Amino acid sequence: MSPPLNPAKTLGGGPIPRTLFSSLLQPTFKSPSSIFLSNGRIPHALRIASKLNTSQDSKSRAPPDDNNSKKKKKRIVVFGSAPPVSEEGNGVAGNGEGKRAPAGVPLWGFFKRMPKKVLAALSNLPLAIGEMFAIAALMALGTVIDQGEAPDHYFQKYPEENPVFGFVTWRWVLGLGFDHMFTSPVFLCMLILLAASLMACTYTTQIPLVKVARRWSFMNSTEAIRKQEFAESLPRASIQDLGIILMGAGYEVFVKGPSLYAFKGMAGRFAPIGVHLAMLLIMAGGTLSATGSFRGSVTVPQGLNFVVGDVMSPNGFLSFPTQAFNTEVHVNKFYMDYYDSGEVSQFFTDISLFSLDGKEVMRKTIRVNDPLRYGGLTIYQTDWGFSALQISKNGEGPFNLAMAPLQTNGDKKLFGTFLPIGNTDSPNVKGISMLARDLQSIVLYDQEGKFAGVRRPSSKLPIEIDGMKIVIEDAIGSTGLDLKTDPGVPIVYAGFGALMLTTSISFLSHSQVWALQDGTTVVFGGKTNRGKIEFQEEMNCLLDKVPEIIVVDDTLNG
Amino acid sequence: MIFVALEHILTHISFSIISIVITIHFMNLLVYEIVGLRDSSEKGMIVTFFSITGLLISRWISSGHFPLSNLYESLIFLSCSLFIIHIISKKSNHKNNLSIITTPSTIFTQGFATSGLSTEMHQSAILVPALQSQWLMMHVSMMLLSYAALLCGSLLSIALLIITFRNNIHFFCKRKNFLIRPFFFGEIKYLNEKRRRVFKIKNPSSFSFRNYYKYQLTQHLDYWSYRMISLGFTFLTIGILCGAVWANEAWGSYWSWDPKETWAFITWTVFAIYLHTRTNQSLQGTNSALIASIGFFIIWICYFGVNLLGIGLHSYGSFTLTSN
Repeated sequence: MSPPLNPAKTLGGGPIPRTLFSSLLQPTFKSPSSIFLSNGRIPHALRIASKLNTSQDSKSRAPPDDNNSKKKKKRIVVFGSAPPVSEEGNGVAGNGEGKRAPAGVPLWGFFKRMPKKVLAALSNLPLAIGEMFAIAALMALGTVIDQGEAPDHYFQKYPEENPVFGFVTWRWVLGLGFDHMFTSPVFLCMLILLAASLMACTYTTQIPLVKVARRWSFMNSTEAIRKQEFAESLPRASIQDLGIILMGAGYEVFVKGPSLYAFKGMAGRFAPIGVHLAMLLIMAGGTLSATGSFRGSVTVPQGLNFVVGDVMSPNGFLSFPTQAFNTEVHVNKFYMDYYDSGEVSQFFTDISLFSLDGKEVMRKTIRVNDPLRYGGLTIYQTDWGFSALQISKNGEGPFNLAMAPLQTNGDKKLFGTFLPIGNTDSPNVKGISMLARDLQSIVLYDQEGKFAGVRRPSSKLPIEIDGMKIVIEDAIGSTGLDLKTDPGVPIVYAGFGALMLTTSISFLSHSQVWALQDGTTVVFGGKTNRGKIEFQEEMNCLLDKVPEIIVVDDTLNG
Repeated sequence: MIFVALEHILTHISFSIISIVITIHFMNLLVYEIVGLRDSSEKGMIVTFFSITGLLISRWISSGHFPLSNLYESLIFLSCSLFIIHIISKKSNHKNNLSIITTPSTIFTQGFATSGLSTEMHQSAILVPALQSQWLMMHVSMMLLSYAALLCGSLLSIALLIITFRNNIHFFCKRKNFLIRPFFFGEIKYLNEKRRRVFKIKNPSSFSFRNYYKYQLTQHLDYWSYRMISLGFTFLTIGILCGAVWANEAWGSYWSWDPKETWAFITWTVFAIYLHTRTNQSLQGTNSALIASIGFFIIWICYFGVNLLGIGLHSYGSFTLTSN
C-alpha cells in the first residue's frame, strides 16, 4: 500500500507534467462512456446519444458557471488526467507511455541501457498474449506426446511412412525435444521470453501507473465531475453528510472547502504489479530449484543405515553440497497401518540422524505428507518394499530369505521368495514358495505349487509343509525414501504467498468519488476500475442515504 | 448403515426435485412463463441445495474424511458450489441473472453425477496415504469452486458470443435456427426479463429498441462474465498453489508436470490471457469472450479429460465410461 495521498499538495498543479497526459487525454475526452462501448456497430447510437446528452446537460445546467469556464478548462487538464490511465488497467503499453516513463529508480537502473525499442516491443500486450498462448499450446502438446520414453517408442508411434496429421514424424518430435517438453529448449525459451515480457511490462506500464495513481486529487469544476462514469447531482444536500456516509461505507474521505475526494480499494490498483512480481519470484525460485538442488532416492531395509551424501546427486551447476550431507541416516523401524479392509492406510518410518561423530541429532517418525526436515535436507516417505522374510525351519534358524518383487499388471505390489528343499544343485530344484502382497500376511505353497496356508508374521504359528515345520519369524520391510535439498523452495513459497495475496486483492476494485458543493446542490461523480455495476449500485444506495436539507429559514419566513 | 440409507434418500430427493425444476424451466422457455412456477423452482433449488449439502455432510461423517476423494463426490461438490454461486447472486440482489447459467449447469452436473457414473463409483473410497492431509480440503475445494465460477463466467461469455453472432446465423440458416433455439433459451429469457424491467422504469429512449436491449444485454453479459472469471481465477490460483505446496509436502516436488497439473496451468494461462485482453479496449468484447469460451472447453479437459486417461498423480479420480 502506498501512503495516504496528500491531495492538498498536488492540488497546486505544481510539477505535474501536462505533456505526459496531453496525448492520453484525447480518447477520454472524445467519449467519456467509451469504456462501455466495446464493439463497433451497436454502441454507435449510444455514443452519439450520450454526447448529445452531455451537451444538453451542460447547456441546461451550465449557465451560471459559464463565466469562469475558461479558467476551469485549464484545470480539467490536470484533474481529468487520471481516467485514461485507469482504463488502461494493467499490462498495456499500446500507446507507448513507456517511452515517456521517467527512469530514475535505482532498482530498474540497468533497464536504462536497454534499447527502448526492445522494451516497448516486449511490453506489447499482443506479444505477451501470444507468448501465453504459445506456452499453453506447448504444455498441451506435452501432455499429448508421451514424455521421457526411449527413442524407439517415438520411432514406432510417429513413423515416417505414416505421419500423424500428415506431417508429424519422430524427426519433429525428437528434433524439437518434445519428448521431454518441459525441459526442451523451445519451452524454456518461451518461458524466458514471458519473464522478459513480465519485467518489461512491469517497468514500462505498471510502475508509471502507480505514479499516476498517486496524483489523484480534488476536482474543482462541476463539469469534470459530471464527465465521470457515474454522475449525479443532489439538490439540497451537504457535502459533509455525503462525506460521513462515504466514510461509513469504508471510503477514505478528504474534504477541502467545497470539494470532496474519496477513494476505496487503492490496493486493487496496485495488486496487478504484485501479481507480476510474484510470478517473477516464482520463476526465479523455480530456476534456482532446477539448477541448485540435490535429489536422491534410496530403498533401505529396516535396521540399516546410509550416508546422505552417498545417495544425493546434483541437479544442476549451482548444486553445492551442504553440511547435512555428512549425516548418517539410520532406519530404526518401518511399518504400515492398514484399514479394516486390508488396504494400506499409511506408511511410517522411524529414522534417526547421526552426525559425523556418531551423535544422534534428530529422530522422527515420518510418513507420507509428513517429511523430516534437517538443515536444508528433506526426507520424504515415498515407497516401500519387502526386503526379507525371517523363517525358521524345523527349529533351526532363523534364516533370512530375500524377497524379490514380482511383475504384476496393475499397481499392486507382489513379492515372493523360495525355500529350496533337497539338493540345491540339481537342475530342477523344488521347494516352498512364499508370496506376499504386504507385510501382513504371507501365502505359502508347497513343492507341487499347491496352496498350503497363510501365516501372519506376528502370530509365530508354525505351518507343516511336506513334513517340515516352518515358522515365519518376521517380515522385514524396506522403506523407500526420497531425499532432497532445494534452495529454491523458500523463494517459490514466498512467490506463492505473494501471488495468492495479490490475485485476491486484484479482485477488489479501486473506486474514486469526487463531489463539489455548488450552492445547495452537491454535484457527485465517481468511477471505478473493475466492479462497475456493483459500484453503481453501491453509489445509488449511498446517495439515497444522504439527508435532504430542509431550509428552515424559508418556512419561517413564509 | 443409517448413513447409506440417508445418502440414498438425499440423492433421490435432490435428483427428483432437480428433474421437476428442469421441467419447469423448459416449460417456461418453450411454452410460456408462469410466475408462480418460477418461484417454486427457486424453492426447489434451495431444497436441492440443502439435500446435496446434507449428502456431503453425511458422507463426511460416515467416511471420516472430507468427501472429495473421487469423481462422484467432486461432481456433487461442483454442483454444490454452483448452487452457492447461484444463491449468493440471488441474495446479493444484483440483477445479474446468473441463475440462467447456474440452474441448468447444476442440473447437468447433478444429473451426470447421479446417473452418468456407475454405482460402484458412488462408493466412498478409502484415502490412499498421499491424500491424507489437511491440504486435501483446501486444494480440492478451491479447485472445484474455481471450476464452478469459471464455468459460469465462460458460459456467460459463450452466451455473449451467440447473441453477437446470432443475427448472422439467422441470416444464412433460418431453418437450422429452430434446432438451435433451445440453446438460446437463457438469452431469450434474459432478454424478456430485461425488457420487462426497462418497461417498468419507462426509460424514454429514442434508440431502436431491439438494438438497445441487445446492447445492454451484451454489456451485462460481458461485465458479469468478467467478474465471475476474475473470482474464479483467484480461486484457481489459490487452488493450484495449495496443490503445489501439498505436493512438496507429499512427494518432494512442488511442480512435476503431471498431466492434471499441466492442464490446470493451461486453464490458468488461458484465463490469464482473458484478464489481459480485458485491459485493452481494442481486444475487449468479442475477442475476450472468444478466449473465455476456449477456456470453457479447457476446464472440461482439465476436469474430465485427464481423468478419463487416468494417468499421473491425480489418477485416483479416474474412471471408465460405462458403455456396457
